[in-house]
Amino acid sequence: MAKKNRVKKSPRILIVDDDCDVLVLFSKWLKAENFDVVAVESGKDALAQISIARPDLVVTDLIMDEMDGMALLSEIHRQNPLLPVIMLSGQAKIPDAVKATHLGSSAFLTKPIEKEELVIEIRKYLHLSNNDEANDVQRFGEAIIHRSSKMAELLEQGKAVADGDITVFISGETGTGKEVLAKAIHEASARKDQPFIGVNCGAIPDQLLESELFGHEKGAFTGALSHHEGLFKAADGGTLFLDEIGDMPLDLQVKLLRVLQDFQVRPVGSVRSIPINVRIISATHTNLDRAVKAGNFRADLYYRLNVVPLEIPSLAERPEDIELLLEHYLEKFALKKGETKKVFSPDALNYLMTASWPGNIRQLINVVDLCATLNKTSVIPLSMAQRALGNDESDVKTLKEAKHIFERDYLISVLQLTKGQVASSARMAGRNRTEFYKLLNAHNLDPSDFRVIVEDEKK
Amino acid sequence: MDKITVQCDPDLEDLIPGYINNRRKDIVTIQDCLGNNDFDKIRTIGHSMKGSGGGYGFDAITVLGDRLEIAALASSSEEINLAARELEDFILRVEVVYS
Repeated sequence: MAKKNRVKKSPRILIVDDDCDVLVLFSKWLKAENFDVVAVESGKDALAQISIARPDLVVTDLIMDEMDGMALLSEIHRQNPLLPVIMLSGQAKIPDAVKATHLGSSAFLTKPIEKEELVIEIRKYLHLSNNDEANDVQRFGEAIIHRSSKMAELLEQGKAVADGDITVFISGETGTGKEVLAKAIHEASARKDQPFIGVNCGAIPDQLLESELFGHEKGAFTGALSHHEGLFKAADGGTLFLDEIGDMPLDLQVKLLRVLQDFQVRPVGSVRSIPINVRIISATHTNLDRAVKAGNFRADLYYRLNVVPLEIPSLAERPEDIELLLEHYLEKFALKKGETKKVFSPDALNYLMTASWPGNIRQLINVVDLCATLNKTSVIPLSMAQRALGNDESDVKTLKEAKHIFERDYLISVLQLTKGQVASSARMAGRNRTEFYKLLNAHNLDPSDFRVIVEDEKK
Repeated sequence: MDKITVQCDPDLEDLIPGYINNRRKDIVTIQDCLGNNDFDKIRTIGHSMKGSGGGYGFDAITVLGDRLEIAALASSSEEINLAARELEDFILRVEVVYS
């Protein structure tokens, strides 16, 4: 089987030092060694970067103003105890080294430091943090754009269960990216070079789903003109993602349960079972607990699938990610079209950040694409964002505006009826001629325009 | 005036002039700080020089940085002046060879 190509990324190192000369020196050294480097001058900036840049390792100076290296180390490990932190100090004080070790520092090194020593230590601790391909790792869930702690926590859980064959069950509203998370788990597993096959159980007619999943023999049923190996077999060695598992018919649930118990599939029309080696990741947007209670989903299958439950928060539950996602997809759109990236105006951004997003990320992508396509200027205004979101509040007029529109339409109707005769129109409207002329002036209407129409009609 | 030849990493060639220039600025700052008895600032400068000098290939700057840091802690204007003059002298005479 052809090895699947992956875009591999260099490990990302966050360097923290309030000395610019050290920052540029370390950046130069590490970039030369193919590390991806993010350099910041304070502990506060470092903490801001942890959730944005998602470094694989942090190198920090000990003595810095405001937040020193020890405080930074504590805070980093409060958020992510697995992130390796290398502490550097201008003085080799044993108490500092002991304290840093107790706080979970991976290494305590003394400045000045040689390039080789720093690089060796970084490689060593990247290995400890499971980044075995020291210069060529794929960060877990890189495609999942986020800065929220809810998503960071979810990805930590996903990362923790990725490297094993444990069955994962993903729940989340439609459009939250269940398949993207499933793919991330696959990519971080030992099966990464084998196929990842996704199937939406709700999108395939019930009578075809069995054949799609388990395969069929030639002549097994009307229309089975040739042998079909099925998705379980196609995913052999890799991962099969069963999306919308809650939509699977009950009779097929029994067959799926048997496959999960025996790791064998029997194609439709065959008398022989075929052994398979597939990791199952399933997902649903529905409440399977409720479906089990209602008798629509088998409890035994549910427990078999729900070994590791991962729940993706809806977009509304992680509003801090919205701006980042909008930026990302605007950039993606611009790259795809070869255009300059457009931006949302501040009020459009505020509006989008507080929207409810029932369609989640999928809806957000559609909104970005629609806005970027329709908007001809570089700044996307609030009205366009509202229109794209299908909640066009700009269409709701104020009472004054509505009255004005009604009045103008009324005057036009009357003038059309009277063929521009002001005296008749005023009478119909219950106004004297002076008042009626004032109204016409207010709406910039000229009775003679309606007389022209009469003449045109005569022609 | 005899030149002091220092071998530096060719990869750092674009950074070295800026680094040397920053030390010239340090000398001016140290003189200003001495006038204000701001020994803490001098200590910080010395600490930074100590941490960065060797990395760029200038062990002498690391040594002078260490001396400045210790002198600042002791509030010794005389020793600070001496170290600052030695730094100035080093910068005037240093000739970098990239190899």
